[in-house]
Amino acid sequence: MSDLLEVKNLSMHYDTLDGNVDAVKDISFSVKSGESFGLVGESGCGKTSVAMTLLQLQPDNSVITEGSIKLDGKELIGLSENDLRQVRWNSISIVFQGAMNAWNPVIKIGEQIREAMREHYPENSKQENIDKINELFKMVGLDETISDRFPHELSGGMKQRAVIALALSCNPKIIIADEPTTALDVVIQDQILNEIKKVQDLLGLSLIYISHDIAVIAEMTDKIAVMYAGSIVEIGPTQAVFESPKHSYTKALLDSTPSIRGEKKKLQSLDGEPPSLINEIIGCSFSPRCPSPSSSCKNQSVEMGLIEVGKDHFADKCCSECV
Amino acid sequence: MLVYTIKRFFEMVIVFFLFLVISYLLFNAIPGNAFSSLLLNPLLPPEAYQKTIEAFGLDKPLFERVQLYIINFFKGDFGYSYTYYPRTPIDLIAERLPRTLMLFSIVNVVAFYTGFLVGKILAWRRGSKSETWITIGSVFSYTVFYPWFALMMLWFFGYKMDWFPLGKFLVPEKWYDSPYASDEIFYTLILFTTISSFLLFLVFIFTRNIESLQKRRNARLFGLIILASLATMYWTNGEAALKRFYAADIAYHMILPTFTVTLVAFAGTALLTRTTMMEVLKDDYILTARAKGLSQKRIRDRHAARTALLPVVTSFIFTIITIIDGSVLTESIFSWPGMGQLILEAVVQEDIPLAMATFSFIGILALIAHFIADISYAFLDPRIRIKAEN
Amino acid sequence: MENQNVDRDVKAAIKKNWRLFKQSKIGITGLIIVIFFGFLAILQPLLFLTNIWDEATYHPVVGYDAEKISRTVVECPDQYPTKEYPTREDCPRVDEVNIRYLKAFGIEAEVGDSYESNVQPAPPSSRHLLGTDSLGRDIFSQIMEGSQVAFLLGLISAIIGVGISTLLGTAAAFYGGKLDTYLMRQSDLVLMLPTLPFLFIISAFAELKVWHLAIVLGTLGGLGGTVITIKSQALQVKVKPFVDSARITGGSKRRIMFSHILPNVAPLALLYMVFSVTGAIASESVLSFLGLLNIDMSWGIMIYLSQTEGFIFTGLKYWWLIIPAGLAVTLLAGGFYLVGRGLDDVFNPRLRRR
Repeated sequence: MSDLLEVKNLSMHYDTLDGNVDAVKDISFSVKSGESFGLVGESGCGKTSVAMTLLQLQPDNSVITEGSIKLDGKELIGLSENDLRQVRWNSISIVFQGAMNAWNPVIKIGEQIREAMREHYPENSKQENIDKINELFKMVGLDETISDRFPHELSGGMKQRAVIALALSCNPKIIIADEPTTALDVVIQDQILNEIKKVQDLLGLSLIYISHDIAVIAEMTDKIAVMYAGSIVEIGPTQAVFESPKHSYTKALLDSTPSIRGEKKKLQSLDGEPPSLINEIIGCSFSPRCPSPSSSCKNQSVEMGLIEVGKDHFADKCCSECV
Repeated sequence: MLVYTIKRFFEMVIVFFLFLVISYLLFNAIPGNAFSSLLLNPLLPPEAYQKTIEAFGLDKPLFERVQLYIINFFKGDFGYSYTYYPRTPIDLIAERLPRTLMLFSIVNVVAFYTGFLVGKILAWRRGSKSETWITIGSVFSYTVFYPWFALMMLWFFGYKMDWFPLGKFLVPEKWYDSPYASDEIFYTLILFTTISSFLLFLVFIFTRNIESLQKRRNARLFGLIILASLATMYWTNGEAALKRFYAADIAYHMILPTFTVTLVAFAGTALLTRTTMMEVLKDDYILTARAKGLSQKRIRDRHAARTALLPVVTSFIFTIITIIDGSVLTESIFSWPGMGQLILEAVVQEDIPLAMATFSFIGILALIAHFIADISYAFLDPRIRIKAEN
Repeated sequence: MENQNVDRDVKAAIKKNWRLFKQSKIGITGLIIVIFFGFLAILQPLLFLTNIWDEATYHPVVGYDAEKISRTVVECPDQYPTKEYPTREDCPRVDEVNIRYLKAFGIEAEVGDSYESNVQPAPPSSRHLLGTDSLGRDIFSQIMEGSQVAFLLGLISAIIGVGISTLLGTAAAFYGGKLDTYLMRQSDLVLMLPTLPFLFIISAFAELKVWHLAIVLGTLGGLGGTVITIKSQALQVKVKPFVDSARITGGSKRRIMFSHILPNVAPLALLYMVFSVTGAIASESVLSFLGLLNIDMSWGIMIYLSQTEGFIFTGLKYWWLIIPAGLAVTLLAGGFYLVGRGLDDVFNPRLRRR
């Protein structure tokens, strides 16, 4: 299998009044077709910034300083808005964080989906589009009549399912799911996750799943990257990362999540806060919060960078030394 | 939607009755009892005097007089105009009302649409230099003293440049040997405008269901061309060809007022559209629309502007009275012989029946405009529509 | 003791809000304009008191000054346009006099001579900064008088209007029920009343003075849409915890309304007050402009005079009769509007950037 999406050395910052906020620092990863990839980290670590950059939808005040994003061998950075429009939705689509607000309140659901299809399949007749939407609705467990409803007439779960249908409407090769279940209650959350998984298997899509919830990621993905303060600190096959986490931040994340299986253990919480991204960070960004920093880590003399710790399994060199 | 309309309609009827009662009481409360003293107007012959007393029940107690006034209103009986005797107020209003309605609707549609368009572009091109200048210009035109500005416009375009007539409804010299009465031509003009805007509306409705955007655009263009050629055919054949010259004269007199009001009135709409649209542009569904790969124009028009329209329409409902006040002024400055000029004239001449009748009719006009705006708001916002239905 | 605390709180709040207001360029521009016209309004009586201006010459209504200026005698051509004069109205220019005009009065003169005479309206000079009108009255003094009228009217009507709407709006929010329903229907009705025709009618049958108009405008404004907005604001305050705690500790209804709810509605009321000044100034000018007000001098009357005497169509030739008055109305109304926008930034946290 070849790489469908390849991100190399991507760095991006936001230009704000208080200075530059380095939201994404030197990130590289790749996603094969049909593979699901998880991106995990706490709030504000740059997960959503990565997602937006993949679609080239980052806010106006953001600057991509270096790196490349290749989708199917095609470079996305630097593409004009018109060329990007061709790529969006029929190559790469997204299920947004807080999909409650992803619908325009004054347009019917069906029309909002058809609108995207019209853009990418201008030759389709209206009936073809409607048939396709109904098929998608069936797939995500929705009624056909939803098409004629306005967003405020649907429940949160229904809206979220409809968003998934919307994301699938133009046969994308890859879907980004950016915390798609955060605003939902646990039961619905589980249903939606199953729905996404089912659809992914059915259509053979690639999936990039972004969440702060490492347990969900474990359930959903084949490969995982852990982000902290704008950089990837550990990346590898999900199973390998969960069985033998190499970075102390990954460990801390895992320790703070309850596990149903296995022996009972006390949950560990992590003290402190992530560093401000405005100031340049020298050395390991995690060292101030690290429960057991090495001496070289503490005096911040080690530069960050990934090294291989297992098969396809990489971790930041600073912390891999401590282990 | 129907339930909502009916409900609003009944509310409007109640407000309307209240309005009639209050306007009668207002006239009644004028110091020195305007009715009795002004009935001694020498222009009025004794039989008209008698008839007015009877019609308004001026010798009866207040409650009965209010009742009589309301009944008379629906009979369209306001006695006689003092200044235009023996014409009746209702007769005068029937002549003036269409002129006001025509100018009022054209002016406001143009001004509202321009304002919305400018506001939309301002929000879209946020931070550009032209934005700053247009905003400053909008604030100026929002606060400028309207009659003064209108006079300056009249001086510059009407007098100095001599591009447009100095107000009024028509040029009398051109109509000297006209086979048509001016009102007849005017009705033709109104009919023409109404039918063509209706056909335009139909074209848009029928092309709405064409799925391909390209085809839809072509179909609309085709429809427009057909409509334009139909209009040309109408004005070049038969009787309309003869009327054309006179109709053009009236239309020519409407250009400067329309232009002036647009310059002043677009600013309020533009500034408000800009603010609301800038807020809408931050909403998540705009991001969704971009992610869907929609074109910039479509995001702007279909998603951002469509939602931003709602608060703009709300404020439009609240300012309808200001707009009506504005048209009264416009009419008196451009000497457009409509309702506004009629009421000013009646007030200056102390022509009570005429003033009362005109005031009541302007009140109804305000009510109906309010009603239409209200209904169209419910039509634009599905959230309200559905709430009202349940 | 408690009063002192309240005083200090109020002072702190004012200080903080002033700091926010200062950041709004729009608001400061407006404030400068308003202060400028306020200065003009105060300056005129001072000039009369200190005898720098004598009333006979400078009084805005009954003053008279025949200013002698010298003009060049020219002969206006029969055919237009010529090189010097594009249209008939351009000849003679303000500093010229037509020889035919002089001959008609039997005055002998040659083209190129200078001819000295009384001129009304006289163009601006060092004696009359903005010239005089057709009756020899000083325009600058009239502008100052108009400024007094505008402030008097604007402030009185705004205070009345906002006073009424704050009381009614708060009461509607606080007592609810029938009072609320009644007040809301009433303001619906006032909202749908065509204001200008209404004012026409009142002014036709009653001799309207400035303060009459101020009361009418204030009442109309106070009963109209502002009540609805104030009420919704008061409703938001009513459910705040400190109102509940005041009720639990046994505060009387009236006390709660006056000492807890009213102060919290006040900023919004202030905002509406500033906006309604704009409306009042414009209304007065419109009515004077149509000749329906019974007052001696105002900006509206100045425009009315320049229109009825036909100076409007002389374009810029007699600019001092046309431009200053119209600009004054525009600027002062605009100034208050801008101050309102600035205050909006301060009191409306949704729009506040910091």
